[in-house]
Amino acid sequence: MSTLSLVTAPLARVPGVAIALIALCAVFAVTSPGFATPANITNILTQSTILLLLALPMTLIIMTEGLDLSIGAVLTFASIVLAITAVTTGSPTLAFLAALAVGLFFGLANGVLIAVFDIPPFITTLGTLGIAQGLSLVVTDGQSVVGIPRSIEAIYSGAVVGIPLPVILAALAYALTHTLLYHTHFGTYVFALGGNREALKVAGISVRGMLIRAYIFGGLMAGFAALLMTARLNSAHPTAGIGMEFDAIAAVAVGGTSFERGNGWLLGTLLGVMTVGVLRNGLNLLAVPSSAQVACIGALVIIALFIDGLRGEQ
Amino acid sequence: MERVTVSPLFELRGISKEFPGVKALDNVSFEINAGEVHMLVGENGAGKSTLMKILCGAYRADQGSFFQNGEPVGIHGPTDARKFGIAVIFQDFTLVPYLDIAQNIFLGREFASRLPGLIDRRRIHAEAKRVLDMIGFDIDPRIPVHKLGVAQQQMVEIAKALSQDARILVMDEPTATLSDRETERLFAMIDRLKKKGVAVIYISHRLSEVFALGDRITVLRDGRKIASLLPAETTPDQLVTQMVGRPVDATYTRPSRPTAGVVVLEVKNISGPSGFSDVNLTVRAGEIVGLCGLVGSGRTEVARAIFGADRVTAGEIRLNGERIGHSAEDSARRGMALIPENRKTQGLALARSVGDNIVLAGLRKLFPSGFFVPRRALKAARAIIDKLRIATPTPRRPVATLSGGNQQKVVIGKWLNADARFYIFDEPTRGIDVGAKAEIFRLLDGLVHNGAAILMISSEQIEIVHICDRAYVMRSGRIAGELAHHELTEANIVRLGIHQ
Repeated sequence: MSTLSLVTAPLARVPGVAIALIALCAVFAVTSPGFATPANITNILTQSTILLLLALPMTLIIMTEGLDLSIGAVLTFASIVLAITAVTTGSPTLAFLAALAVGLFFGLANGVLIAVFDIPPFITTLGTLGIAQGLSLVVTDGQSVVGIPRSIEAIYSGAVVGIPLPVILAALAYALTHTLLYHTHFGTYVFALGGNREALKVAGISVRGMLIRAYIFGGLMAGFAALLMTARLNSAHPTAGIGMEFDAIAAVAVGGTSFERGNGWLLGTLLGVMTVGVLRNGLNLLAVPSSAQVACIGALVIIALFIDGLRGEQ
Repeated sequence: MERVTVSPLFELRGISKEFPGVKALDNVSFEINAGEVHMLVGENGAGKSTLMKILCGAYRADQGSFFQNGEPVGIHGPTDARKFGIAVIFQDFTLVPYLDIAQNIFLGREFASRLPGLIDRRRIHAEAKRVLDMIGFDIDPRIPVHKLGVAQQQMVEIAKALSQDARILVMDEPTATLSDRETERLFAMIDRLKKKGVAVIYISHRLSEVFALGDRITVLRDGRKIASLLPAETTPDQLVTQMVGRPVDATYTRPSRPTAGVVVLEVKNISGPSGFSDVNLTVRAGEIVGLCGLVGSGRTEVARAIFGADRVTAGEIRLNGERIGHSAEDSARRGMALIPENRKTQGLALARSVGDNIVLAGLRKLFPSGFFVPRRALKAARAIIDKLRIATPTPRRPVATLSGGNQQKVVIGKWLNADARFYIFDEPTRGIDVGAKAEIFRLLDGLVHNGAAILMISSEQIEIVHICDRAYVMRSGRIAGELAHHELTEANIVRLGIHQ
C-alpha cells in the first residue's frame, strides 16, 4: 500500500520523462530499422546498466542538495585498481573488493570534506575528480591494463535464463536503492537533508553522518560499476569513465529529481537512464559521432526540464 | 509569608545567556505548571526565543539551573529536553516537504520493521492516524507535507510534538499566519490539551490572545523578567507599558488625512491562474486601502499580479492611467513597490549590508551612467537611514543582524530611495513588536501625506480598521465587498470574509 502511494503520488510528473522516452523510441523505430529489434533492446538495457549504477546514488546525493562530480573518475580509478589486482593476484573476488575499497575511500573523503569541513559539494567533488583521474593516469602511465582473468569478462557477457547478467545485477542495485531510499531510516533522512536539515537536527539525527553515508553510497556504487566496466572492456582504461558523471546527472535531472528541497524520485531516474541509453543507442545506429551525442544529451536535459517547468506552472 | 509547597512541573531558575556583544538573558526565572497556558510576551529582542531555545536544549545557558517537579535536572541538548517532555513548535516549521505527514510526525523515531534495518511504514502511518485523531485533525497521513497549507502544517507540527509525549508545548506566535477560523480551531485544541494536563508556553504579540488564552503572563524586556502575573491583575495598557518600558498607544490611531486625490491604481476585472477572478479595485493618491480576507482568499496573489510578478489572463491594470502588468521590472520603473510578506526570502538580501539593500531598487536612478559610485550609494543610504530612523550604527552592517522591525524599515527604505509612488504592503507588521508596529504605521502615514498611494494586506483586522481609509474584502479569489470608511469595522470584515 505504502509503496503504491509512492508510485502514484508523483504520477503527475511522469510524462516529462516518460514522454521523452516514448517519443525517442518512436522516432528511432521509424528512422533506423535496426532499433526495434529484440537484440538491440537487450543491447540498450545492457549498455545502460553502468549508467544506472551511477545514477542511483547520484539521485540520493542530489536529493541532499549535493552533487558528485567525481563519480566517473572514481569509477575509472576503481576499474584500474580492480584490473591490476586481478592481473597480479589472479583473484576476481580480491579484485572486486579492491575496487569497492577505492569507492569507499573516495566516498568517505567526499563525505567528510563536505559534511565535516563544510566545503561545497561542487568544489569537493571537482577536486576528487581531478585526484582520481590523475591517479588513474599516473598508475597506468596512460596505458590500458590488459590480461585480466576470463571469469571477470563473463560477468558482463553472461546470462541467466536469457537475461544478461549485468541487467540482473542492475535490477538488484535498483531494488537495493529503492529499499534504502523508501524503507530505511537513512532513506527517510535523505529526504530531510535536502528538505529541511533543521528538522533532522531537532530530531537528534546527525546531519553529518547521514551526508557522509550518502557520498559513501556513491563511492561504493562507483566501485560496483567498475566491475561491470572492466568486464565489458575486458581491460581497464584510464579514460574509460570520463564524462560518466555528466550522463548520470543528466539522467537524474531528466528523471524529474529536483536540485532543491529533497524532491527526488527513483523510478524517474530509471526512466531517465533509459532515455539517455535510448538516445545514445539510436544516435549510434544513425552513425552520429559520440561527441555530437553529448550535445544531444545536453539538449535533452534542457528540453525535459523546460517541459517540467511549463507543467509545474499550470 | 508561607510559600506554597507544590512544586511546578518544570522550572528554570536564574538563567543567563550572553552572545558576543549582547546579554540576551539576565537572571531569568520561569515556572511551568501542568494544565496551564503560560503567555510569554515582550518586544522582539526581549529574549523570548533565546529562553525557549535554552528550554528545548538548542542553546546552552551560561548560568542557571533547571528543576523538574522540584528535582534539579540538567538540559545539555535536545535529547534531554525531549526526555522531560518539552517540545517546541517554531515559527519556521521543522517539516520535510517531500516526506508525508506520517513520516514527518515520526521523523527520527521511525518504527523498526521485523526485517533488520528496515522501517515499518504501515505502522508509522497507523500510529500517525491515531495521533491526528487525538487532536481532531482529519487528514490522510500519506499526503506529502508540501501539499499542505500553513495551518495544516502547524497541526502536523503539533501532532509531532504530542506523539513524543510532550507535556510542555512551546508555541512561538502560532496564529501569525492563521485565519480567524483556523485560529479558533487552534484555541479549541489548546483547550483540549490543557484538560489533558499539558502545559503550554505561548509566545504572542497579539494582546487579545494573551488575555483570551493565558492563565498566566510573563513579560520579558531586554533579557530580564519584568513581571509574572495573572491576566486579572493587569490590563492591556499596563502590559504594553511593561513590555516597552514606556507608555505607548497599543492601538495606533489614524491621524486625519487630506482628501484622496487622483486615481493612481485602477484594476478592472482581472483574473489569473494563481487563483483569483474578476477582481476590481481602485486606489487614489493620499489614501491607504486595505485588502483583507482569510489567508488563502487570494490577497497575496492579487497583489503579486498587480505588481506584474504573476500572470494575469484577463482584465487590465492601469497605473496613473497607463496599462501595466507585463513585468515586475516595468512596474518598478513606473514607481510601484511591492513589500512582500516574507521579507527574509523575498524582500531582502540578508547577507548584504543595510546600505546595499537600500540602494538596490534605486540603482538606475542613482547611477544613470551604469557605474556604481560607492560614496554616492552610502550617502543615499544614510539619508534613508536617518529619515526612517533605522537602528543601525552604520550602513555597512549586514541586514541579517537587525531586528524584524528594522528589517522591514530597510525594505521600505529601498523603495523610498527608488521614488516609488504606489506601494503594496503584504502583512507589513508580521513578526514585529508593538513599538515597531506603531513606527511602521507612522511611516505609512507619512508616505500618503506626501501623496503616495498604498494598498495594504493584513490578517489583523484591527490594523485595517485603524490604518485604512477603505478596504476590500476577498473571499475565495473574488472581491466579496468594499467597505467605506464609516463601514470599516472588524465585524464587517469578518462578515464579508467568511463563507456563508
